[in-house]
Amino acid sequence: MSEAFEPKIVAYVCNWCTYLGADLAGTNRLEYPPNVRVLRLPCTGRIDFNLIVKAFEAGADAVLVSGCHPADCHYTSGNYHARRRWIVFRRLLETLGFEMERIHFTWISAAEGKKWQQVVTEITEKTRRLGPYTAYRDLCEAHQ
Amino acid sequence: MITRLRETCRRLLDQNKVQVVIGYGQRRPGAAAHPVFITRPEDVGQLTWGGNCFANLTVYLKRKEVKALGKAALVVKGCDERALVVLEKEAQVERGDLYVIGMACDGVHAPKCSACVVRTPRFADELIGEAGSAPGAASPAAPDLLDVLMAKPAAERWAFWKSEFSRCVKCYACRQVCPLCYCERCIVDKNRPVTIDTSASLKGNFAWHITRAFHLAARCVGCGECTRACPAGIPVGLLNRSLADTAKGNFGYAAGMDPAAEPVFGAWSSSDKEDFIR
Amino acid sequence: MARIGVFTCWCGENIARTVDVDQVSAAIAKLPGVRASVNYKYMCSDPGQALVREKIAAEQLDAVVVASCSPHMHLRTFRKTAEAAGVNAYRVEMANIREQCSWVHHDRAAATAKAVDLVRIAVAKVRWDEALEPIRVPVTRKALVIGGGVAGIQAALDIADAGYQVALVEREPSIGGKMAGLSETFPTLDCSQCILTPRMVDVGQHPRIRLHSYSEVESVSGFVGNFTVTIRQKARYVDTAKCTGCGECWNSCPIKKIPSEFDYRLGFRPAIYIPFPQAVPARPVIDKENCTRLKKGKGCGFCEKKCQAGAIRFDDQDKLVTEEVGAIVVATGFKLYSIGKQQENESRSGYGEYGYGEYKDVIDGLQFERLVSASGPTGGRIARPSDGREPKNVVFISCVGSRDNAKGVPYCSKICCMYTAKHAMLYKHKVHDGQAHVFYMDVRAGGKNYEEFVRRAIEQDGARYYRGRVSRIYEENGKLIVRGADTLAGEPVTIEADLVVLAAAITPAAGVRDLARKLNVGYDEYGFLLESHPKLRPVETASAGVFICGACQGPKDIPESVAQASAAASKALIMLSRDEMTREPEVARIDEKNCAACFACVRTCPYHAIERGEVLTPRGVFVKHTARVNPGLCMGCGTCVSICPSKSADLAGFSEQQIYAELEALV
Repeated sequence: MSEAFEPKIVAYVCNWCTYLGADLAGTNRLEYPPNVRVLRLPCTGRIDFNLIVKAFEAGADAVLVSGCHPADCHYTSGNYHARRRWIVFRRLLETLGFEMERIHFTWISAAEGKKWQQVVTEITEKTRRLGPYTAYRDLCEAHQ
Repeated sequence: MITRLRETCRRLLDQNKVQVVIGYGQRRPGAAAHPVFITRPEDVGQLTWGGNCFANLTVYLKRKEVKALGKAALVVKGCDERALVVLEKEAQVERGDLYVIGMACDGVHAPKCSACVVRTPRFADELIGEAGSAPGAASPAAPDLLDVLMAKPAAERWAFWKSEFSRCVKCYACRQVCPLCYCERCIVDKNRPVTIDTSASLKGNFAWHITRAFHLAARCVGCGECTRACPAGIPVGLLNRSLADTAKGNFGYAAGMDPAAEPVFGAWSSSDKEDFIR
Repeated sequence: MARIGVFTCWCGENIARTVDVDQVSAAIAKLPGVRASVNYKYMCSDPGQALVREKIAAEQLDAVVVASCSPHMHLRTFRKTAEAAGVNAYRVEMANIREQCSWVHHDRAAATAKAVDLVRIAVAKVRWDEALEPIRVPVTRKALVIGGGVAGIQAALDIADAGYQVALVEREPSIGGKMAGLSETFPTLDCSQCILTPRMVDVGQHPRIRLHSYSEVESVSGFVGNFTVTIRQKARYVDTAKCTGCGECWNSCPIKKIPSEFDYRLGFRPAIYIPFPQAVPARPVIDKENCTRLKKGKGCGFCEKKCQAGAIRFDDQDKLVTEEVGAIVVATGFKLYSIGKQQENESRSGYGEYGYGEYKDVIDGLQFERLVSASGPTGGRIARPSDGREPKNVVFISCVGSRDNAKGVPYCSKICCMYTAKHAMLYKHKVHDGQAHVFYMDVRAGGKNYEEFVRRAIEQDGARYYRGRVSRIYEENGKLIVRGADTLAGEPVTIEADLVVLAAAITPAAGVRDLARKLNVGYDEYGFLLESHPKLRPVETASAGVFICGACQGPKDIPESVAQASAAASKALIMLSRDEMTREPEVARIDEKNCAACFACVRTCPYHAIERGEVLTPRGVFVKHTARVNPGLCMGCGTCVSICPSKSADLAGFSEQQIYAELEALV
């Protein structure tokens, strides 16, 4: 019996915007696939990009980082710092040959329950089509 | 230039203006110059200068043993001096505590020399020599490895780095030789929690090089010592250069060039691009 | 080894219908360190909380995980429960298996598996929670109210009457807001100014209220309990201390025909003016765009000559003043949607088909209020703006902008059905032989005596109500031809109107987004300020110490605005009632032994909460430089943690250790 591949998606979300947006999706009963595991952080500014790598090490097939829209950060500028770091970190991962289609950044506000539903659904489907992140799994198993 | 260098250093030590001179020496002819730490005026004969002075001596400023010797005079090439600019911005050196001897340089036969724009140090307390009109003889024009890599599909790049990092033994020479890696307790040595797998496995090696490159993003001055130091011949400096290009392209920032320029991280602009953010 | 208790909630059916809570409890019970894993119908209820306390005692638990709704709902509740039973409040975590699980997934197996994962993550996290004590912070026992409409006035009076100083900032020359321009208010038909002006006078004379009129908030710094607000007092060109409000100046001003803002351009005012006779403060301002002396630097000056108090100051300048306050209440009110085709806001479009701005006799609701007001441009006589004749047929159109997705305003503006009925009645009271026609989609009259009020308009005052929309208005022979539909009769309707009144949508006041950013308060896509929670915390915001009330939070009428204002005042008073408040201790900390003193964190911190410091031996000998966090200022965002290269900075409650443990729980 072969099981259909179910992608594992880790989402680092900020407590004030995206987390509340995800709650709103729940309050409005907007259905989406159950593959995402949300790790709540105070702000996208808290996200050291090492955490993206760590998520892949832990077996994630895709990683989502989501926070407040520019100018709306609960801590005024955490998301600006994160955005600037993302620009550079993306380049690093591209240079190394990471599968960039597995890494997603979004701005989702507390009022955007629908956007959370759409983003999670699309990422899940896309990752399902991409398949498991075998390149990374092989890397981690190599030393066993 | 060598004579003038030695006289300058003798004078500085004689007058106790500095207690140690950090410079280049050469015990074996034909080999690369090695660092020397001269504390007595009579030893200045050990100092040398030439096209084999590869090392970036600013790296010694972070060492406790060197700090303990007292005020230092430091011999720098223009490329090394860029590291000084960054170190000062990051509160690691007090410029007034340092006597900078700048050596005008015709190149050290490294690939970085053909594109060098800082052959004359800009902030030295004393400048020795004049840069020649032609750049140092560079190796015949080879295709830039970074450009070649970035033109390949991602899967091939991944295979390339897997192959390179499979030879990494986590000796951390790249870290030790970098003047900007000055944390006394490096993140890789932190074990509560373990951030980076210290074993020389592919997983651990990728994690290390990703972190090293990212921590040096928009700080690396391109002295190339990390690549030169790597005993496994891994072109680690390529990652740094890729990020330096990004910093230049996106923020107009080149580390160590303008002392007044705002560092890239810790600042932000409302016009930072976000075409990759949904 | 930790002693963790895990409590999974059914939330009645909300969770248990989809997630197999027994399976969750059983799976979690097997994790190392979990001493108790139970489930119950309503964890937040009294018996639920009693169960938590009981297990804490029975198993000597030192950490608690509650798997239920969002932490935004009940984290505080369960922290108190745990604390009461002897577990440190910060060794409590929640797994959100409702909003982010049972409510959004319907496959029972998948939802249960996800719930188990989410609880595993929470258990991994709580293991590394430190026992923390709240941080104590002094409170400046003074409030700032932004906006001097009826909501701002109410909030200011409540706080001042409770014994605290209040600074009230209003950007117009007088307080009173939109209510000061209304004629009579529903459902009582009280004269608006008659009920408002005594309150305005109370504010003006209150010993504890400092009124900054004709002023705006320039900048805000600090944090809850300790805000420093810079206020720009715009130049009035009149010395309010000397001025007696006698009116000689505005009577003598030769520039008389400037469209009056207070009359929504239906009337005129001079260049030196008082917005309305009952203004508080009753002191004029000079409009520098239209005053001859201020524009040219010389000439005119009649007001200066006439002023016996010597109060005219042509050399006046804007002044910046500072207020130190502990709490801020925002009551910036609303403005009407600008009906015409041209819209400044790109996400909106207008109604070219109604001729607003093109035909003088097509006006909006606030303009009609001025026509009806005894103090208005026509002295209360209902007259067409074009030729001054009394209109015999007036058409009122509801939902202009509102409830129209195509125009970018999908929401209902709540008050228009009521004021349209009111307008129809007031019109009939003044023009006995006139006929009011109302085009409506629905009639929303949900308040006390509201439905009865609308029935009166129809049954006693003969207003004709057509259920349908208007497709077009055009002018013909001096009349406005209104083409609409009567969907109940099933036929089109054409009316030759003398005057058309459009009930335009309610939108937030201009500049509210900029103010919100200064205060660090969120706003929705329309600009309405965001409350903490739409049901349970309607006047608080995500920014501690900043409260909102009135139409700036969403369209609402006067009784609701007043009620919300008192609610916001009471929340502010909870803070101001003590000299000291406690702050959440989930703040950043730097390991000074390992800090490389690069000060990247100092540069990054959005609150400037990190300083350059020194490590000294107990005898005072310098050891090394370090960065150091001020726990009174840190807001716990963690941006310093991610930028620190040596990871000497860490964040309590979201530490490196915790995040890695959470990830490992997923493997």
